[in-house]
Amino acid sequence: MSFDVVGFNFLEGLTHFLKVFGGVALTALIVSFILALIQYGGRGPGLYFKTLWQALVDFVHTSPRRVWAITELTWKESARKKALFVFVVFAILIMFAGWFLRDSVGRADLQLKIYVKFVLTAISWLTLPVILLLSCWGLPSDIKNRSLHTVVTKPIRRHEVVLGRFFGFTLVGTVILLVMGIVGYAWTVGQMPEAAKSELVGRVPVYGDMTYSNRNGDRPNFDDPNNLQNPASAATNVGDVWEFRSYIEGGTKSRTFYDFDNIDVAAAERAGQFRIEYNFEAFRTHKGDIEKRLLCRITIVNKETGLRVPLETFEVKEFSNRSADKTIILGGTDEEGNPIETITYREENTNEVKSVHIFDELLKGGDITVEVQCLDPGQFLGMARPDLFIRMPDRPFYVTFFKAVFGIWLQMVLIIVLGVTASCFVKGPVATLLTFGMLVIGSGFSELMQSLAIGTSEGGGPFESAYRMFMHLNPTVSIEDGPLKTIMTIVDQAALGFLWTVQYLFPQFEYYNMVPFVANGFDVPWKASLLPSILVTLAFVIPCLILGYFSMQLREMEAK
Amino acid sequence: MNQPENVIEIRNLSKVYRDFWGRKKVQALKSLSLDVKKGEIFGLLGPNGSGKTTTMKLLLGLLFPTTGDVTMFGQPASNVEKNEKIGYLPEESYLYRFLNADETLDFYGRLFNISSDERKKRRDALIERVGLQHARKRQLKEYSKGMTRRIGLAQALINDPDLVLLDEPTSGLDPIGTRDMKDMILDLRDQGKTVVMCSHLLADVQDVCDRIAILYGGELKVMGRVDELLKSKEQEQILTSTLSDEALKDVKAVLAKHNAEFISADRPTATLEDLFLKTIQISQAQPGKRFVTEDDKAESPLDPADKPASN
Repeated sequence: MSFDVVGFNFLEGLTHFLKVFGGVALTALIVSFILALIQYGGRGPGLYFKTLWQALVDFVHTSPRRVWAITELTWKESARKKALFVFVVFAILIMFAGWFLRDSVGRADLQLKIYVKFVLTAISWLTLPVILLLSCWGLPSDIKNRSLHTVVTKPIRRHEVVLGRFFGFTLVGTVILLVMGIVGYAWTVGQMPEAAKSELVGRVPVYGDMTYSNRNGDRPNFDDPNNLQNPASAATNVGDVWEFRSYIEGGTKSRTFYDFDNIDVAAAERAGQFRIEYNFEAFRTHKGDIEKRLLCRITIVNKETGLRVPLETFEVKEFSNRSADKTIILGGTDEEGNPIETITYREENTNEVKSVHIFDELLKGGDITVEVQCLDPGQFLGMARPDLFIRMPDRPFYVTFFKAVFGIWLQMVLIIVLGVTASCFVKGPVATLLTFGMLVIGSGFSELMQSLAIGTSEGGGPFESAYRMFMHLNPTVSIEDGPLKTIMTIVDQAALGFLWTVQYLFPQFEYYNMVPFVANGFDVPWKASLLPSILVTLAFVIPCLILGYFSMQLREMEAK
Repeated sequence: MNQPENVIEIRNLSKVYRDFWGRKKVQALKSLSLDVKKGEIFGLLGPNGSGKTTTMKLLLGLLFPTTGDVTMFGQPASNVEKNEKIGYLPEESYLYRFLNADETLDFYGRLFNISSDERKKRRDALIERVGLQHARKRQLKEYSKGMTRRIGLAQALINDPDLVLLDEPTSGLDPIGTRDMKDMILDLRDQGKTVVMCSHLLADVQDVCDRIAILYGGELKVMGRVDELLKSKEQEQILTSTLSDEALKDVKAVLAKHNAEFISADRPTATLEDLFLKTIQISQAQPGKRFVTEDDKAESPLDPADKPASN
């Protein structure tokens, strides 16, 4: 199990949001001003600023009671139009799923993976389409049936209708998700075999920064960020898993260093143990006895005191996936149940046997380095950043399970806001297609769009490429410097800037996929998963509601 | 005497419907100007496509004027606050069909931020007023058209409005429902409220409206008080008790003496609506009563009570 869990860079995210939101908003303001001038002539600017001012007034005077009235109406509508029928489908799935999924491989960790993936996927696939259809068809059907006429002729502001619909569908979806989540959780726990119940945890990993030293023991310049991002630059490339994982050579001074700062030693001490989990890959240059494992060692170094404690050697087997084999536990309890607080080790230089207190000495200050070395000459040990982590006290399984449900909820909210906004200016089927399209593009094409917008482009941008095609120049032929090239470069940069903005108009739905964490027994991390999901949802909710307001405010309910 | 204030002022109002590309499709309204005064019942008449519903929708802000201005209570039609004083009954009572009558009124009451107690009070009173006590817990999708009109009217009155806009208020109602609706409209006027209605049913308009405007092709053709517009300026009508032939001859002689032409003398007839309502009224009071004789000679329920009528 490997996650390259990288914390979300809030500042960078905010900058992107402001750039995209600001760019789109500015464009919309300029275009609408020009349109007002064209349509109303001299009166245009006055009307334009009056509309903007009115928007401000309307938002300030938003009435929660009226919004709640529409919210309740939406709830009643969904309930009476049998939207909650989705529970029946879920119940049928749950009733019979156990027959097909139970004990298919006999491995506890895989059993958990199967159950969790099934339950959370079933919840997503049942909830999201229902919510998508409800949110895309609600307002258009009100407009078509003209029931909205009796509403907007009351002293309700049109954005209150949009808000009410948004909250109403969110309420419906929340209830559906909550019920399904509770039932799904109870079902998962109930289905897990007794022997595998220990897998029902939310492991909390703390990842360190990883660097290598070469076979002579030299470490690269740590100030160069490239060395941190590209492990292959320091360690050995054995031709396997090129970018993600790199290898250290056994029997040399080559080591991997995992640096951890500010570890919560107190929490580990309360739990009575300090755990390190790893998942290294053995790469043999000579096979020999295939049953023989690679001999490795981990040394824990206290960065503050310089104390070095080499731990017992351990073996790494090829093709092993059992996590129990890959855990080092310092502390814990002895056979009589007494806590173990010290560790005995042989000092590297003197070979003297010493004892050290785990929490008060070895982990003192919380800044440590874990050094990994391979002791078998001629063999290689492969590692990536997420291959070793400190396992902090586990969180209960229900916490991590419902965090994943919360992830589905955030995704649902985003779909609702996209659907409701789209339904403010187009009819139901178009709104459905539009929202579904955004969902598909945001789920599977964000990397492609990113590579188009910011990736390297052989042969230049769209205009330069067109020029090359026209002139029969292949991408490797350089174009002579001159005004033409300058113009093409500028225009291409503008086009790429536009593409860059456009790619962010599609929400990245990958953030919401928290199922792998739960399925693999990990807690859903706040900074790497929950926070970006919340922020992506918020980043779309606010502009969408503004767009929804103007769409409703400026549209004629009875336009022919 | 002070002139009543204008509740609605329409000035040079025009509406052009355009297609997606902005090309002119149809001009629904051409420079309409009119006022509606406080406390009157104002009727908008015209054939299909004359612009009366467009006018109504422009008043309500459902459409935006191409040119011209609409003010209600001194505020522009686009102003949401003006809706506090307005009740609107749309042509087809476009309500939420999955709600029942209680929920419908409660929902619309909440849009006016009316307190819960007050909503309940008004809801009960209005349901009683429109005669839907027996069906208040049934979803509107189970309602007949007449019942839907009644609950539609009730929702239009939930805020106790000063101005009520009624689009085809009697459409789809049976004669009793029509009579009730007209009575309620007259009640509203008696309470000092202003009513604007548009209708195809000219008799209904004549019965209740103080003033009317007739639109044709989006233009205002006629406007004024109903009684003045309909009053004949060249004829007189005298109503007396039944005259003998002798007496009729004398009347003609007198008329000739004053150079007045005698046109016709006939017994006045009641309206069909009067006959229908009277029949229902008597049938409710005396369930066995019939007005059909064996030789199929009709007797009228409108005949004086002392006149013999067969059972």
